[in-house]
Amino acid sequence: MDSIVILFITGLLGLFVGMRRQAVLSLSISILGLIFAGIAAYFRGTYISPLASYSGYIPTPSNVIILLCVVSILAVLGGFQRYKQDEEHTGDYLSLLLFSLCGAIILAQPNDMMLFFIGLEILSIPIYVLVGIEKGSATSAEAAVKYFFTGSFASAIILFGIALLYGATGSFQIIEIQSNLAIGIWQSPMAMLGSLFLLAGFVFKIGAVPFHFWGPDVYQGASNAVLMYMSTIVKIAGIYAVLNVFGQIFRDSYFFWIDLIALIIVLSMFYGYITAWKQTSFKRLLAYSSIANAGLMLFALSDILNSNILLFVAAYSFATIPLVVINQLANPTQDAIANWEGIAWKNPLVGVALVIALFSLAGIPPLAGFFGKFSLLLAAVPHLPYAAILALVASVVGVFVYLRLLILALKKPTVQTKQSLSIEQSAVLLLTTLGSLSALYFI
Amino acid sequence: MALILLPLVFSLIAWLLPSAQTRLFGLIGTTINLFASLISVYGFDAQDQLFIDLGLRYVHFSLDSLSYTMIILTNAVFFMVYLSNFKQEITSKKRFSALAFLMQFGLIGVFSTNSILGFYIFWELTLLPIFLILYWFGSFEKPKALLQFFLYTLLGSLAMLLSVIGLLQLTNQQTYEALLAADLNAHGATSIWLMGGFLLAFAVKIPLFPFHTWQAETYTKAPTAGTMLLSAIMLKMALFGLLKWVLPIFDGVATEFWRWPIITLGLIGVVYGALIAIKQQDLKTIFAYASLSHLGLIAAALMLQNEITNQIAIVQIVNHSIVSIGLFLAAGIIESRLQTRDITQLGGIAKVAPRFAFWFAAITFVSLSVPFTAGFIGEFFLIKAIFNAHTLSGIIAATTLIFGAVYMLRAYQIPMFGPTKNSVFEDLSWSEILVFALLIIAAIYLGLSPKCLTDFVATSINQPTL
Repeated sequence: MDSIVILFITGLLGLFVGMRRQAVLSLSISILGLIFAGIAAYFRGTYISPLASYSGYIPTPSNVIILLCVVSILAVLGGFQRYKQDEEHTGDYLSLLLFSLCGAIILAQPNDMMLFFIGLEILSIPIYVLVGIEKGSATSAEAAVKYFFTGSFASAIILFGIALLYGATGSFQIIEIQSNLAIGIWQSPMAMLGSLFLLAGFVFKIGAVPFHFWGPDVYQGASNAVLMYMSTIVKIAGIYAVLNVFGQIFRDSYFFWIDLIALIIVLSMFYGYITAWKQTSFKRLLAYSSIANAGLMLFALSDILNSNILLFVAAYSFATIPLVVINQLANPTQDAIANWEGIAWKNPLVGVALVIALFSLAGIPPLAGFFGKFSLLLAAVPHLPYAAILALVASVVGVFVYLRLLILALKKPTVQTKQSLSIEQSAVLLLTTLGSLSALYFI
Repeated sequence: MALILLPLVFSLIAWLLPSAQTRLFGLIGTTINLFASLISVYGFDAQDQLFIDLGLRYVHFSLDSLSYTMIILTNAVFFMVYLSNFKQEITSKKRFSALAFLMQFGLIGVFSTNSILGFYIFWELTLLPIFLILYWFGSFEKPKALLQFFLYTLLGSLAMLLSVIGLLQLTNQQTYEALLAADLNAHGATSIWLMGGFLLAFAVKIPLFPFHTWQAETYTKAPTAGTMLLSAIMLKMALFGLLKWVLPIFDGVATEFWRWPIITLGLIGVVYGALIAIKQQDLKTIFAYASLSHLGLIAAALMLQNEITNQIAIVQIVNHSIVSIGLFLAAGIIESRLQTRDITQLGGIAKVAPRFAFWFAAITFVSLSVPFTAGFIGEFFLIKAIFNAHTLSGIIAATTLIFGAVYMLRAYQIPMFGPTKNSVFEDLSWSEILVFALLIIAAIYLGLSPKCLTDFVATSINQPTL
């Protein structure tokens, strides 16, 4: 709870500070706020918080909050180059981002379905705005509108699911819903329908097949800076919400929905990776790869207690953010994979970060991405053996998607030019690379 | 511990060092590694087992005499690669040194790790540097051949990952000793499938017959140093995995099931590789198929699970490393001086370069397994073991001696003594002579007294369970 308050106050403060139109000042305020929010989450319970009585409502684990804050710091730093271009709006952008992060923290694990819905909306609405910050661009406007409509649609479906669930159990409290369902209500058509609606809404939010259609268009229209944030934070918060809801509320109907989940996983992975293979736009490629990764994340549902989803989403974020930062360098105005040719040669840090990030996404040990995948599959194999085998086959296709990008980026250019990095970009690349490399020591 | 981590440290240093010093640093670094391993083995009793804990959850290390043998082989191979390519452009590149040391780290990890996941991690870790070395320094016009290599290896690796996960789930154990103690025979068909996953990964790496198509293409397009690394030491990971991990752990139902299929594939490789090698024009292609032929024999013999045969297989593994470094060095020397490896374009080199002719002849004889070289001991006993198990298979395996003579003598005779086509050929430099001499000495020493090696590894092969 303290973290949310800190973030919210920082956001408000950022709005006022933004009026001074000093981009670096806005940035420092936001980063400080994020750091303090992380620290507050880390020391939660060891000091007497004035908000302690509220903490029961949002029992999001500390490590999730810390991960969300760290990823946001990386995303803010990585995208700062873009945010500071609109000097009069830098503060607004950063504040929107912080508000949205509040929503993400609430969404990750509320104990009440109303809070859950509020969290979802707080997370989404600022992102609708952020997607549209390229005011001159038609694709950006299209993306914002599309994201808004599909997102609202998903929210409505989730709301409908919550309503059905309320009808079946007579409560919004997650524990109460669970205990009511456990005595057999989960077999009632209303509860089953409610669970399906909720599942559909979630699949929509994390962007897995069959509700993935908004992904590529929205990713393509969003600017790189926003992409860093939305491709990571929304996924992290979304998957924790799914785990919380399905692991808690519907754990008695496990055998009712687990086959459906297995189908979604396999379809998402094959569709995502196969479609990513022929993309010419980096952002679309990232979108399809994120569809596949969303499928992989759902493996955590098969065995919630034993799977280490935190590691997976952390590895995914630490690999995606540097790639988008590099895309920002390679494609300042356009968005074509062809522009990636030889990018690794223009700056040593870019080269190393790129190789590590792509191999981590591809799941080559000993990088973080491998351990993320490994921990999920290790827990999932006893429950979903065939889905796990198919997922491994799909990831071979995935490796080639990333390898194609790598080969292009490593091609030695005939004329060698230098690409300079700003301080914050170097920091992001360095931190994410170290993070991906040091996974072996954290498991 | 220093033994394992030194290459990683060197890799970082090579990356940070200015380019001018890279060449020298590479040679010094590999020398230090080699001496570190030799000093370390000096104080090591063959009966012992050395546990090293770096505080990691999934990766543990333990060194026994088999690990030591393979580590020394690795370090010696890297030293030889640096020494033999000392004058080439490739060793002056920072990237190559950093990647080569990283690969050395991965290989040593494979040979010394004690947990099944660690084995997989290091196995895959070696893939990353070799891919980049092939990509940056190879002559792949299109990435297709390279992608083929990567695809094959990756499919194998993923099958292995699945088996590793299955094994972890089934036994709930991850260290080598605990897996040996776990009784997999009770799981029947499941253990057959799990072993199949490992075997697929190994069959791609060794390579066995239907999975070999990446080999010739990759060997010919790779830089000489890369080919040496691939053939002299990377492929040995698979044989090591078979010998140390898979056969003892799955001993029983699964090995019974897979024994004859693998032996058949190995023997098909023996004959098929040799027959193709006879018709080839490109020196590197000939040697690549020769490698297919020789390794098929080792893999087939390992499947017999006979203690003596396993010891001899180690001799043959070491011998194959010696031979492949020597042969690919010779091919590389011809290529770098005449810009071609096509034997129809070559001829009469012996007249202008007598020293090269001598050393190339020597390494050719080692590869032909003439008596008093390690190859003789290796091939003779392996063929004998297969013959004892199944007469017809033994006869098929024995053809490798005849075919080997055909393609090797052809590959030697036409460039060296054929009608003169190359009147200018710069003779060997000191570093190249040194490499050849070291290789030949090692081969003859092993040929005269293979006992020093077989006795050393005997304990780890005979008593895998502590």
